[in-house]
Amino acid sequence: MKTNLKAVLTGTHTLSGNEAFIEGAFAAGCRFLAAYPIMPAIETIERYLKRSAEVGATFIQMEDEISALAAVIGASWTGKKSMTVTSGPGFSNMMEHLGLGVMLETPCVIVDVQQSGPSLGIPTRAGQGDMMQARWGSHGDYEVITLSPSSPQEMFDFTIKAFNFSEKYRTPVIIMSDEYVAHKKEKVIIPRADEIKITPRRYFKGQKDKYLPFKRDKDFVPRMVDIGDGYKFHVTGLTHDDKGYPIMLEECQEYNVHPILWKIRNDTEKIIEFQEIGTKDAEIVIVYYGATSGAASKAIKQARDLGIKVGSLKLDTVWPFPDKKITELAEKVKAFVVPEINYGQIVSEVERCSYGNANVVFVSHGENGIDNTEDIVSAIKLALNEEKIKKGIIEYQSQTGRV
Amino acid sequence: MNPIITAFANGIKKSGVELSNMVLVSDIPFEPEIIKELGVDFFHITRGRAIAFGTGLKLGNPDLKIVAFIGDLMTLGGNHLVHSGRRNMEMLVICVNNFVYREIAGTPAPSVSPGFSAFSTFEKPFNAPHLANSCGAVFTARWTALHTNDLTNSIANALDKRGFSVIEVLSPGPNFYKDINQIDSELLDFYYKNSVTKNNEDTRNVEITPGEKIITGEFTDKEKPTFIDTYNAQLSKILGDKFIPHGGQSGGD
Repeated sequence: MKTNLKAVLTGTHTLSGNEAFIEGAFAAGCRFLAAYPIMPAIETIERYLKRSAEVGATFIQMEDEISALAAVIGASWTGKKSMTVTSGPGFSNMMEHLGLGVMLETPCVIVDVQQSGPSLGIPTRAGQGDMMQARWGSHGDYEVITLSPSSPQEMFDFTIKAFNFSEKYRTPVIIMSDEYVAHKKEKVIIPRADEIKITPRRYFKGQKDKYLPFKRDKDFVPRMVDIGDGYKFHVTGLTHDDKGYPIMLEECQEYNVHPILWKIRNDTEKIIEFQEIGTKDAEIVIVYYGATSGAASKAIKQARDLGIKVGSLKLDTVWPFPDKKITELAEKVKAFVVPEINYGQIVSEVERCSYGNANVVFVSHGENGIDNTEDIVSAIKLALNEEKIKKGIIEYQSQTGRV
Repeated sequence: MNPIITAFANGIKKSGVELSNMVLVSDIPFEPEIIKELGVDFFHITRGRAIAFGTGLKLGNPDLKIVAFIGDLMTLGGNHLVHSGRRNMEMLVICVNNFVYREIAGTPAPSVSPGFSAFSTFEKPFNAPHLANSCGAVFTARWTALHTNDLTNSIANALDKRGFSVIEVLSPGPNFYKDINQIDSELLDFYYKNSVTKNNEDTRNVEITPGEKIITGEFTDKEKPTFIDTYNAQLSKILGDKFIPHGGQSGGD
């Protein structure tokens, strides 16, 4: 693949998360954005427009988020790497087409810049309330890969990863950003184009009349062709066979949907990424992701200064969830502390994977924003002093900010 | 559906369109063998969203000729119809209007006039050609599925046009007066006898009204720059030489 040098802004820059996302997308080869403007994702569109002409990328402002994701899936079939950006309310709108993307096995990237919810919530404040929606929001069974960046640099790096995953597994990939990461400006180092690893699309190269859009390779991932190249294929969102013809039978449901799930489930160990620090001798492990990273790392430092053995597990991919890692840690540590900017989502996954072997203390940052280090430190102390294994999640009662 | 497909196939032949560039997007599941016979790429996607999906295809590869067959055009697809008309997004929309939701007995579609369906409806219906025309479509027409030749000609004309074209085809639905077993010939006959062709009629006058004849014909035929034309014009004005035309050698990868 030839790389467009203008697309990769090699060098050191000061960028917000939203801007870093666009640079990551261009560096990954993305050339199509369809979106409907929404706070706090709007700067992504502005950045894209500013840069799109020299990169040669296409933008269309659609009439809503439903059509935005539909257009993205369509554009992806023409061979263009495609994406859309949105925030909570728009993400809810996209759910039907997230399922379509999964069923048509179409590579594409969705960024959800999370805000407070439900409904309109507070569009200018960070939230992590869409984590479960990303996993379960569309109807029917599916697996999804989500990445959770905590800084503009990660936003850049994870965007490239997201496009690579989407091509490798032929599936939509979601980047769960949030208002804090989106607007935070930091140093971002963009490497040279030849240093960036790009996963190319897996194309079918056989005879034109032999192409089957859903015939799978050994790893369950089918091969693609570009539309308009004369392969004359049939694709449907109904349960289908290898030819893409609809077949309304239970056997076909199994034949069709099982590999869509297992192409990801079989590879979870390769997909899952986390940053594990100081868990070897830790009594307490903080599990966190995205915007809570700042407060969590500060809290870890403070707790260590107090002589508490605290380790940390920062989830880079939240879905698929690192079940094995949590189960393994639960056997060694006394408790997990999970801070989130919601009222309890990923904490229930941590509890599920602990199998009652470790306490799970939840620190809700529902109203307190992202800087409440004190609460996390207090929660660590609480977790340390909690003797017996308790069933269920222990919710840390914040001393500040509760109504 | 079959008479419409036949007209469509003949329309393609009659038009100057390259079959190799044609993509069908639909929210109606077609018989796959028919699609194979037609020799086009085919996407069956979510209800009412074919125009939006087609927009992505068109912008991804501007050489493609997009045809969207839509059942839920004026409901789920309403906003996409409105905005694609405004943009003059280059594609042909064939609205297959059978007045009812086929799977759901008697539930009226928003194009139904009072008294038409089994359950009936009291809401005012949409006038599809007028709606499309008002939104900016460059070509609108209405035929019944039995107007095979006229429909074929209109499809050929629309395919040769650059811009957003809408053809409404009235097609039999099972709950429309008749028992499903009697449907075919009798109902088509009904349409045919109760329609009158008025080409170039003002779309304001073509609403379907019970007790009155259904007006068929080609109503709109005008020229307007397409979305891609205006996109390219605007960006090259701002950027001059730096601009890479939309859908040209995009991005170099």
